[in-house]
Amino acid sequence: MSIVEVLTGLWESSGFGALASGAASWRNLVMILVSFVFLYLAIGKKFEPLLLVPIAFGILLANLPGSEIMLDSIGLSDPATMQAVESGVMEAGHWYDSGVLRLLYVGVKSSIFPCLIFMGVGAMTDFGPLLSNPVSLLLGAAAQLGIYVAFIIAIVLGFAPEEAASIAIIGGADGPTAIFLTSKLASHLLAPIAVAAYSYMALIPIIQPPIMRALTTEKERKVKMTQLRKVTKVEKIIFPVVVLVITAFILPSVIPLLGMLMLGNLFKECMVTDRLSDTAQNALMNIVTIMLGVCVGATADGDTFLTAKTLKIVALGLIAFMFSTVGGVLLGKLLYVLTKGKVNPLIGAAGVSAVPMAARVAQKVGSKDDPTNFLLMHAMGPNVAGVIGSAVAAGYLLSLFG
Amino acid sequence: MTAMLLKMQMGWGETLKTSIVGLLVVIAILAVIAVLILLISKIMGAATKAFSKKKPETEPVKETAAPPAAKPAGRELPETESQGTLQLENVDEPTAAVIMAIVSNQSGIPLNRLAFKSIKLIEEK
Repeated sequence: MSIVEVLTGLWESSGFGALASGAASWRNLVMILVSFVFLYLAIGKKFEPLLLVPIAFGILLANLPGSEIMLDSIGLSDPATMQAVESGVMEAGHWYDSGVLRLLYVGVKSSIFPCLIFMGVGAMTDFGPLLSNPVSLLLGAAAQLGIYVAFIIAIVLGFAPEEAASIAIIGGADGPTAIFLTSKLASHLLAPIAVAAYSYMALIPIIQPPIMRALTTEKERKVKMTQLRKVTKVEKIIFPVVVLVITAFILPSVIPLLGMLMLGNLFKECMVTDRLSDTAQNALMNIVTIMLGVCVGATADGDTFLTAKTLKIVALGLIAFMFSTVGGVLLGKLLYVLTKGKVNPLIGAAGVSAVPMAARVAQKVGSKDDPTNFLLMHAMGPNVAGVIGSAVAAGYLLSLFG
Repeated sequence: MTAMLLKMQMGWGETLKTSIVGLLVVIAILAVIAVLILLISKIMGAATKAFSKKKPETEPVKETAAPPAAKPAGRELPETESQGTLQLENVDEPTAAVIMAIVSNQSGIPLNRLAFKSIKLIEEK
């Protein structure tokens, strides 16, 4: 073998060679730049770094020229190919010939990762503020308005109902729920939807305050809410079990998400499974977050991600977030009137899940008008109610289109 | 699969109906849960009352009972103020206020019956 042949072989197998031969396109290069921007936002600006760093790195890994990290050798991502392979119509390699992230992606596709994340979220959630003020649940429900507004607009824009439902769930401001529903209904849109959902969750401190201020008066924002009652341990233990049973009987499709959420919460509250609670909210949560983030990022291949559809999804996600905030604040205003000024409408905005960022935003906006006003604990009620609300909304959409 | 999905469309009426029913389903389920919470708290309250009436002597110190707090000297403090002088070390006032509110809320002791001595940042991340 001559030196020229060796050098030619090296060139052809390099990333530059892949670009020159057309195996990789300019879209991959753009996605690499996008991953750099995300890394900067995560590390430099601290925008949801725990999620954005793995997502950004996943995007980078999948778009490097010559990368086979998402190689699908047996049709793991395509049911038709998998069926053909299984029935012997098509010859394929072994499952272990697939790219490492394609193998891990099975956890996303099968909804294992979103459900495990929900268990961790449950183990970290204190439903105390919600139990001491059950009206918070209505605020959490109203803040799902954006899901249905975005659904209508998505249908008008020409998306199929399954796609529209997956896009609309971005308004629930709950990453795992968005991934869960999308992987069931429109897995080809997983990357843009996940990226939009997590990006907007990180941008909540920028998106929500102008809407909250525009919809409320200074008098409303200055309302000081009375101290919450102390919730007993027994109530906290009964709550996850009762909620799961009742909700599951009404809407069985919500069981995977809500079931895991409540299991994690029971670990936390029952006081006899401290080790399980600790694992669910720390080690397991961190491991799954890494795998989920990298896998979701790796689905953002330049050729499938850089399309007009992605731009529409990003725009619809923003609309969903804004209307969810509007829904929560408007019901907060209604409760302000009904309770003769005892409810601060700002806590309604926290109904958009995104625990605890949305509650912190309510606290921040409220304390701007009155620094002695402490809304954080009051906003945590609608905030955790939003988690249940978005899971129920996902269950409803799944039962219709799944 | 994608092509098949893309062929499916919904009419205006069906879209609106799906959205309105969807929002109502979420509100209804969460309202049912709210009612259940109220019921549970009422039952728990009644059970606790009945239990404490039955065994007043053997009742240990209540988990939720607030520890005795020193009486405020001078004027009665409003509920939004704590007692004593607070020293802040590398912590801004809004953060300190939030921490104090959380302590008050979690302990069930009104802010005007609590005295914070100092709040300091022990690790800068």
